[in-house]
Formats: sequence, C-alpha cells, structure tokens
Amino acid sequence: MLPVKASDGSLDLLNWIAGIPGKSNTLWDHATYPLTIAFPEEYPAKPPKVKFPAGFYHPNVYPSGTVCLSILNEEQDWRPAISLKQILLGVQELLNTPNPDSPAQEPAWRLFTKDRLAYEKKVREQTKRYANPDK
Amino acid sequence: MYDSYLSRIFGDQADKFRESKVLMVGAGGIGCELLKDLLLMNYGEIHILDLDTIDLSNLNRQFLFRQKDIKQSKALTAQKAVESFNHNSKLVAHHGNIMDTNMFPLSFFKQFNIIFNALDNLEARFYVNKIALFTKIPLIESGTSGLKGQVQPIYPYQTECFACIPKEQPKSFPVCTIRSTPSKPIHCITWAKNFLFPQLFGEDASEQDKLKPQDVDSDNKAEIEALLKESNELLDLKALVMNAVPEDDSYVYKIIAKIFKDDIERLLLIETLWTTREKPTPLEFEETKAQTFDGQRLWTAAENVAVFVDSTHKIAQRLKTGPVDFDKDDEDTLDFVVSAANLRSHVFHIPLKTKFEIKQIAGNIIPAVATTNAIMAGFSALSSIHAFYNTVEEKVKHSKMVYDSNQPARFVNSSGLAPRNNRCPACSVTRGIITLDLSQLTVNDIREAIIAKYGYSDDIGIADGSRLLYDYDFDDNLETSLDKVCAYGDVLFITDADEELDSLELFIDRGDALELPAFTLPKAVKNTDTPEDEDDEDDFALEGEVIDLDGPKRKAEDEKEPAAKKRKLDASAEIEIVEL
Repeated sequence: MLPVKASDGSLDLLNWIAGIPGKSNTLWDHATYPLTIAFPEEYPAKPPKVKFPAGFYHPNVYPSGTVCLSILNEEQDWRPAISLKQILLGVQELLNTPNPDSPAQEPAWRLFTKDRLAYEKKVREQTKRYANPDK
Repeated sequence: MYDSYLSRIFGDQADKFRESKVLMVGAGGIGCELLKDLLLMNYGEIHILDLDTIDLSNLNRQFLFRQKDIKQSKALTAQKAVESFNHNSKLVAHHGNIMDTNMFPLSFFKQFNIIFNALDNLEARFYVNKIALFTKIPLIESGTSGLKGQVQPIYPYQTECFACIPKEQPKSFPVCTIRSTPSKPIHCITWAKNFLFPQLFGEDASEQDKLKPQDVDSDNKAEIEALLKESNELLDLKALVMNAVPEDDSYVYKIIAKIFKDDIERLLLIETLWTTREKPTPLEFEETKAQTFDGQRLWTAAENVAVFVDSTHKIAQRLKTGPVDFDKDDEDTLDFVVSAANLRSHVFHIPLKTKFEIKQIAGNIIPAVATTNAIMAGFSALSSIHAFYNTVEEKVKHSKMVYDSNQPARFVNSSGLAPRNNRCPACSVTRGIITLDLSQLTVNDIREAIIAKYGYSDDIGIADGSRLLYDYDFDDNLETSLDKVCAYGDVLFITDADEELDSLELFIDRGDALELPAFTLPKAVKNTDTPEDEDDEDDFALEGEVIDLDGPKRKAEDEKEPAAKKRKLDASAEIEIVEL
C-alpha cells in the first residue's frame, strides 16, 4: 500500500491506496481489490475512512464503496491503537464472511441471503475483473 | 491618579504593563470583556485580532457592539468602541484569520510579550498554542461554556500546554445509522445537513463519480441497471438542481419522491434491518404552494413539504451565482435542513422538531453567559501579571489555573500549573525555526543541511504537515525547488531513518540565507515494552506488495496510546468483527 501522490509531487500521508488480496481457497482468491484509505485530521482520535470503488459488490459495502466495519466506526470498536495492518486484515476477512445483519447495499445482500448460488456467481464475475495478472 | 491607583494594586509591575505589547486573539464574548480589562491595566500596546463579523445574536453579551455594527468587523468595531474610554494604550486592530500565515507570519507574533486567547474553537486554539511553543511567548488561554469557564496560563515547555491533555473531539454518528436506520431527531438533522445538503448543493459530486455501464461486469441487464441506478440517482438529482429555472419548481417533487419514497421502499426490501426496528413508511405527499412558516411552532408533514420545495428552489437559484454552504443564520439553508430532517423523521416515526430547536442543534449553539465571560476575562487579565516576574521559576510558581464550580460556598477554584506532559504530541517534540528563501533551495539542499547540522548518522525523512516530501525510498523530489512543495508558515517534520535521534519540527520562516536553529537533538525514546511488528510483516506482505506501516502518523499513534493497551490489542491475533 502506498500514499497517494499529490499534484505537487509530494506524497499525501492522509490518503493511501491499497490492494486487498482475496484469501486463498475462498471465492475471492486470485484477485486484488483496490481500496482507498482516507485519514481525517483527527486521526488517530477518529478512524480512517476505507472505500472500495463505487458499485463494489459486497453485502456490507455501500453503493458509494464505503466499508461499514465495526472497527472503523468511532461509536463502536474504533480505538486509536488499531493499526493499519489490523484494518486491512479486517477488511480482507470481511470479504468472505459478510454480516447479513448489517446490510449496506440491497443487491448483494438480497442474493447473499436468498440465492447463495447466484451471489457466488456475481462474486466470481467481480473476481475476474480484479484478477491478478498471470505469473 | 489612574497611575497611582494601578501602582497601589500592582506595585512596580504597573510600569512594566506600560512597556509591554500584547496580542488578544478573538474579540467576541470573552474578548470584549478582556479588552476592557487590558485597557484598565494600562498595557502599552494592544493588538485586537478577529476574523469574524458581528451578528445580531452577539449583542446580548458582547457589550462593545450595537445594532448598527451588525455585519461589521469585530476587531475594527471593538477598537472604535473603546476609543472614548479613558485609556492610554495604543490599539491596533486586525480583521483576519489568525491561521493565515501571509497576514500573520511568525515575525508578527514575535513582537508580543504575552498572547491572550479568547477563542471559540479548538483548531485555532491548537494553532496559537503551537505558535506560542515556537516563539516561547507566554499564552493565557481561556474559555467558557454556559456557567462553566476556565483560565490556563501556559509557559511554553515549562508548564502544561494546550495539547498536553487530549481534548474530547465532537462525536460523529456511524454512517449506517445516518444513512439507513435513524432513531433520533439528531440522526435526521445530521443526515440533512451533512449528507443531503452537500449531495444536492455541494460542489464536489461531479460527473467523474458517475458509474458507467462498462464499470459493471455482469451479463444480467436488470442487475446492471439496478446497480447503476442506485449510485447515479443522487447525481441525477443534483443535475435537476443545477438546471432549475426560476419559473418551474416541479423538479423538487421528483427529488422528494426519490429521497422520501423510492429510497425508503428500497430500504424496506432489506428485511433484516427491520426485524428489531419499526419499519419506515414511505412518504405520501401532494403538490402544494411553496412557502415557509413561523419557526416557533411545529410544522405538519404537508407544511414541511411546502418548506422543502420553497427552500430547495431558492437555493437552486442562488447556486447560479456561487456556492451555497449551510449556515444556521441563512434562512434558506436552515429551512432546507429543517424540512428535510423533519420529513425523514416523519418517515421513520421519529418526533418532529421546530425550526427553532433544529437551529440550535444544527448550528451547534452553545449557551453563552455574559457573567461567566466577564469573570473569566478578569482572571485572564490578572493572570498576566505573573508573566512579569524576573525568572521563569517565579512566573510558574505564582501562576494559577482558574476555574469555576457550581458549589455555592466556593464558586472560584484555582490550582498550580501542572508540569508539561512528556508524551505531549506538541510540546515534547524538539522544535525550532528555520529561516530560508524557498525559491533558492531544493529538497536535497535542506536535507543535507539538516543531516550535517544535527549529526544524523544516515538519512532522514521530511514531511510538510501530512505531505511526505522525502524519505529513503521516496527520492523523486530531491531536486525539486522548495517553493514548489512548501510555503512559509508550514512546519517540516523531520524523522531519523535509523530512529536514533528524536523527531524534529521546523517552522519555515522567510529569510535571505539558510539558517537552522542551534540545539542538540535528544536521543529517541525507544519504547522497549512495545512489541515489534516487523517479525510477522512477511506474512502480511501478500502478493509482493510493499507495506510500510511505520509512517509518522503511526509514531504519533504510539505516543498517544499507553503501551499496555497497545500490547493487549496486538496480542489478539484475530480481529473480531462484531457488527458491520
């Protein structure tokens, strides 16, 4: 993961881009999902905002791409000592273990709870789009 | 006569006030009182600084201002208002932002013997605290909230500074509650003010954010459309607002139908959201005459629709001549937030609120009491006498922190000043002022100069605020001229690549030749009881990615958090995902 390069050539330490590799032996394997991490000025008193691209297909990702995860939520489990590494691992874990009780988008949530096969098909299609280049 | 009165109270020190220049930051509630007190103490020169203009709501307590002064500069009006007082001080007023480094470079601050803060926000307080640390000028900090108030004299690096104790930040609400499952009026007000208002009237949502068919890889046409629709609908609404013509407000009903009906119906499809909550009811409404009503009484749902149409249409017209931001004193924007919040509350079966109530909440109005301001301003002025003792030890020994309590027997309390916090992110850092001509030097020039001056054994990292200019694996900017990446007034943050020497902060000030402050950098404090992350980093660097978790931000985080707490969290190998 890297900070974003600003127009003046410096690196913006408040805005990072990262790639989340899908865990081995899961639906999400063999692909790397792009993620942006925006740190507020009050970090680490407040959590960073973590986003996939808009329209990312996952029951717990908003249509805008924002990830709604308890450890990224100031009112829930955010602590100033939570490291970037823990955040990235948390998001990676979330990919294959969605929480159906806290839906953030309707299409992925509906298929995940009602038609698991169709859901898995959609995830595989998305995996193809973010597939790792052949080694 | 006046002089003899002062010397009877203050003794020989009265003469020293005459010879001193002081800066008062803020000419509002505390500032008006404080200016009067500083004049009574006969200070030689008083600078009054404020960026604000006078509002009607200020007049009950900011006694230097009158009805005719509304919309005038606070600083300039305060100076004019005290002209007729019987005083001998020279007064200079500045209408500007204290954080504007062009208007107020470091050299501006250096002329003062004491700085008085009479501010109303954390950001400016932290800024002046930082300036006091760089210039080592005593700072008298003060603040009130309703009947409570306190005064804290700060002697930089000797006593507790404003950043030594972490300040409570205003809470924000989880995005899920705001967007999908509001349960209190405040959730709907936050949604209307911070989500809907910028979405409809803000500048940042652009065509670039629009999701295009080629971005979605699916062979299911209906699915593609549903997905595109959901993420693009809000942008389409914004287009309606941008293309509105004065004679036609019918587009506002499309906005109401989408936000308070279609979106709610879509939310209802997600059944699990409503197993433990009451289901929202999509809004049924009729077209009506656009208008607004008396703000003291509660509006019906139909009346809120009328106000929503009226305010949306007015703001849409105003957007043609420039951006419109939410302001509690701007009737159109307040009407919009009130009606949008109330319609959402109506949909979610939450009690509605009056415009008067919502103004207090949305405008973050904190009750201000004139008497508290007057008392704290008095202690602030009196605290400055201690700054005239000859030695730092005496200044610190005699100074007191003053605060009030609600115990009738002892309304005012005081305590000695606490020593500085060794883990304070502001005053435990070594800092100084670097003078240079930005157009004459490159990033590498100052890198080499800093390494040579302070004896770093190998390499350093250089950041300007949150922007990294250089570190050992980011050398793109070495030959870049400094004026391209830095400005006067910026603070450079220098870290030792070998982590042997402590971090350093350098304030960039304008000068002809490169000059670095002279001091010996202390050794870095190694946190031996903090577990090292490096060991397992290889497991984590998946798919050949470079993962650097030890940026300057991470360091700040280590400093703020007790080591024991950190270890506890690190030890839990798995993160428990409780709720999303």
